[in-house]
Amino acid sequence: MSRFLKLLVWWPTEKALRVSAVLGLIALALMCLGVLDPRPLQVVISMSVSQIFGGVAFIGFFLSVAADVAQARARIQKLEGSGGAAGTSAGGSGAP
Amino acid sequence: MHESLSLPAVLTLVFAATAAVILIHYLIRRPRLDARVRMRLLFGLAVLPVAAAAASTAYGMHRTTERSFCGSCHVMSKHQSDAEDPESQSLAARHSRNPMFGGTNCYVCHADYGMLGYPLTKLNGMKHVYHYYLGKYGDMPMAEALAEIRVNKPFPNSNCMQCHSGGLDSFKGVREHRALQEDLLTNKVACASAGCHGYSHPFNKDTKQEEHAER
Repeated sequence: MSRFLKLLVWWPTEKALRVSAVLGLIALALMCLGVLDPRPLQVVISMSVSQIFGGVAFIGFFLSVAADVAQARARIQKLEGSGGAAGTSAGGSGAP
Repeated sequence: MHESLSLPAVLTLVFAATAAVILIHYLIRRPRLDARVRMRLLFGLAVLPVAAAAASTAYGMHRTTERSFCGSCHVMSKHQSDAEDPESQSLAARHSRNPMFGGTNCYVCHADYGMLGYPLTKLNGMKHVYHYYLGKYGDMPMAEALAEIRVNKPFPNSNCMQCHSGGLDSFKGVREHRALQEDLLTNKVACASAGCHGYSHPFNKDTKQEEHAER
């Protein structure tokens, strides 16, 4: 799990969310197509292709949320690391 | 557009429209990703699209059982018009006048039954879509379609016996039913055949062959 989060530190959250939003809009349009024009091909597309687009959009959103968590963890670890190092050096320099 | 929108159809449109507003707003305004925007995106990309997908699937599943859906492929339009003809005496027409079958009479008779009947029927339906859009049926003239297209496998008597169980005295009282009981159960003799209750559709291939033989 932590390896997965480390990989996600580099995930382009904003860009991925924009792509997910576009894919989500395509999925929603295809779902509505099957309802508004219920001929065989449109209904089949509405129940298959639209859900693939929607699924990819959802995965994009999920990865973006996970990436947010990963990036927040990385920032905390960085701060803790620099804070700890500063404390050690201060303690060392303060010793008689 | 379909004449009347059912509840799943309306729900699909409402969920999809709400999600679309959220997503379009996000794409145009490009707001900073704070907690409120993330929560809105959770609804726009997850909750509402999942609800819309569920509603559109429910709508699609129901829609694919309607006779008008089957008849929307031109090669089935004669079957549809015969089933809707109040004067027709074909088995399909007589059953479609029965409210238990009504507008879904194609599905009620042709669907497989049992535990996997519903998904298997839907999967077989996908074959029809494939043959229509990617095979040769899409461009086939009606005369050729009536001569060529036939039922995929022999029509099972068990589909008739979902309603006509064969357990009533009125059924057992018929001499032919008693004599052919084994053959009916093993599908050796079809309920919908020339010697028994007649063919389901007036342009059945076997009917034509018999007419041809008589001439």
